[in-house]
Amino acid sequence: MSLIIDNLTVRLYTDFKKKEFFNVADSVSFSVQNGEIIAVVGESGSGKSFLGLSLMRLNPPYISEISSGSILISDSGGFEKVDIVKLKENQLSGVRGRLISMIFQDPNVSLNPVIKIGEQIVEAILAHKKMKKKDACDIAIHYLELMRIDGKARFNSYPHELSGGMRQRVMIAMAMVLEPAVLVADEPTTALDVKTSLQVLALIEKMRFEKNVSVLFITHDLSIARNISDKTLVFYAGQIMEYGLTEDIINNPAHPYSISLTKSVPGLSKDYAPRERLFVIPGSLSQGDFKSGKCRFYNRCFKKTKECLNEIPLLKLSSGRFARCVNII
Amino acid sequence: MMDNGKDSEVLSINKLSKHYSGYGSLFNFKKNIIKAVDNVSFKVYKGDIFSIVGETGCGKSTLSKLILGLTNRSSGEIFYKGNILNYNLKKLDLRKKIQIVFQDPYSSLNPKKKIYKIVSLPAIKNKTIKKKDALQYSMQMLKKVGLDENYVFKFPHELSGGQRQRISIARSLSVNPELLVLDEPVSALDVSVSAQILNLLLDLHEKNNLTYIFITHDLRLVRHMADKVCVMYGGKIMEISPVDKFFDGPLHPYSRVLLESILAYGPKNILQFADAGNININNINAGIEKNSRGCVYYNLCSRREVQCINNEPELKENGDVQVNCFFPYYSSV
Repeated sequence: MSLIIDNLTVRLYTDFKKKEFFNVADSVSFSVQNGEIIAVVGESGSGKSFLGLSLMRLNPPYISEISSGSILISDSGGFEKVDIVKLKENQLSGVRGRLISMIFQDPNVSLNPVIKIGEQIVEAILAHKKMKKKDACDIAIHYLELMRIDGKARFNSYPHELSGGMRQRVMIAMAMVLEPAVLVADEPTTALDVKTSLQVLALIEKMRFEKNVSVLFITHDLSIARNISDKTLVFYAGQIMEYGLTEDIINNPAHPYSISLTKSVPGLSKDYAPRERLFVIPGSLSQGDFKSGKCRFYNRCFKKTKECLNEIPLLKLSSGRFARCVNII
Repeated sequence: MMDNGKDSEVLSINKLSKHYSGYGSLFNFKKNIIKAVDNVSFKVYKGDIFSIVGETGCGKSTLSKLILGLTNRSSGEIFYKGNILNYNLKKLDLRKKIQIVFQDPYSSLNPKKKIYKIVSLPAIKNKTIKKKDALQYSMQMLKKVGLDENYVFKFPHELSGGQRQRISIARSLSVNPELLVLDEPVSALDVSVSAQILNLLLDLHEKNNLTYIFITHDLRLVRHMADKVCVMYGGKIMEISPVDKFFDGPLHPYSRVLLESILAYGPKNILQFADAGNININNINAGIEKNSRGCVYYNLCSRREVQCINNEPELKENGDVQVNCFFPYYSSV
């Protein structure tokens, strides 16, 4: 196990002085094994990006805090175990990038525009390892080449000289250069083209097989989850709604929310005739859903009953398959 | 002109080109011509959903700008119902007939104006309605796109992405157009919201007998919505084909590559794309420059032959499929 998240609860304050808050992640527990890819799927506003940020302790200070739970990260050999939640602020920078690192959504914003990409990667290496700069350059070039970028030629390029897909690949190289145990990828392909996004997915997959990194892949697109992940975690309003093998969840979803999600995309569930109207999830995700004592999907659910008005625990369906619903047939 | 029946042609494009010229660098005065749209011809019939697919930089957005007259063409002609498309000729009222829905609902609405002003402005300018009827009229339009009437007094920032896209659609419908250009209308939206917008577009298409030019890069939407697919690459049309035939097996090598992108792969099978060539506008134009007489897709093609280096293929009819390749796949039919 390289990442064990236990009972993680993250508060987001709506009014800090009056201590008004809601749980943007609510008792989230799951674990990721070495070299496993778990996709976190959900609508925008469901709190999935916040979950990713919390794993790095990058959640915005003052307005949010991790109120309980633990995030245990161990490197692939099992020599080092760290609970990210308990670390002090000054210890965090020793862990970020080395044990856990992150790829962000928009590569245009996440690279420094005035520093050459080679320098940026070398900077990441030298921050954690004592070595000669020349050796660090060699490592950087090696990782650029792993990402199918001509390392020597592109080492001195500025980010604006690269295309979007290349920039995202530089970001992966930078995230992977210290061989972290866990990689958090927050929608890394949404800003990209169909074909380049396939390539980026393939390269993340390749890193998983070659470097044995565990990946938490945050996305809103179930078809991307199907292409890349072993397991899928359907996230809604701060809670895990369904968890299990990706194939099972896409071919045979159990939770009404997962069913709605797979139905609202043409081509995923195959029973759509041309121009047949697509299934629409009524209403929208609101802040109130995060606070309610009932099932958080209650207002938009097509299967709701009276029992749904109570808080619903994550129920085990079969081994390794969980869903937060009482009305599963 | 002929204007009866469902099959009358609405838009006919004949050898249309748009070349942007720039200089290589400050001291390099050699002209560097970018062929954004190059020698493109196709016809769109009434009631069709004609979809244009291709990746970033293939010229599909430039093509939509040309159709709307937002940029001038370098050569070629566009005919609208048999008349040459010229937005300067007021008598044809072309602005009323052809409208566009933009990709990004966040940047395409004026943040300083209330919704009813945004929705009614095109109608007022085109004298479809009088200024005093603006409020009433925009309420009607909002109803049409499934929004509450009270939204007329709101500002764009008060609305969600899906609601804004509905406003964009209402605005373009306010002049009762016949042809609507949809430039990636759902790519900025969430899954469930995009399903709503697609349903709305399909409803409007049926009710108002509209013709759509649907620009997208998502082939799954094409299969769901369109009648015809037009694949573009490097400013040229690679293939025009009816949807069912396209998804049975496209003829052009590039179409096959595109179709691969929507197939289901498991984690292991996706590894094959690690080496897929990264295409960008520089790549495409480098290809054109190096073999300016050859096929644009030569550098990345899986079926290329010597013939493709020096000869440029032309769009040839092959039954009801048009394909721009010397060595197309012949479908199993």
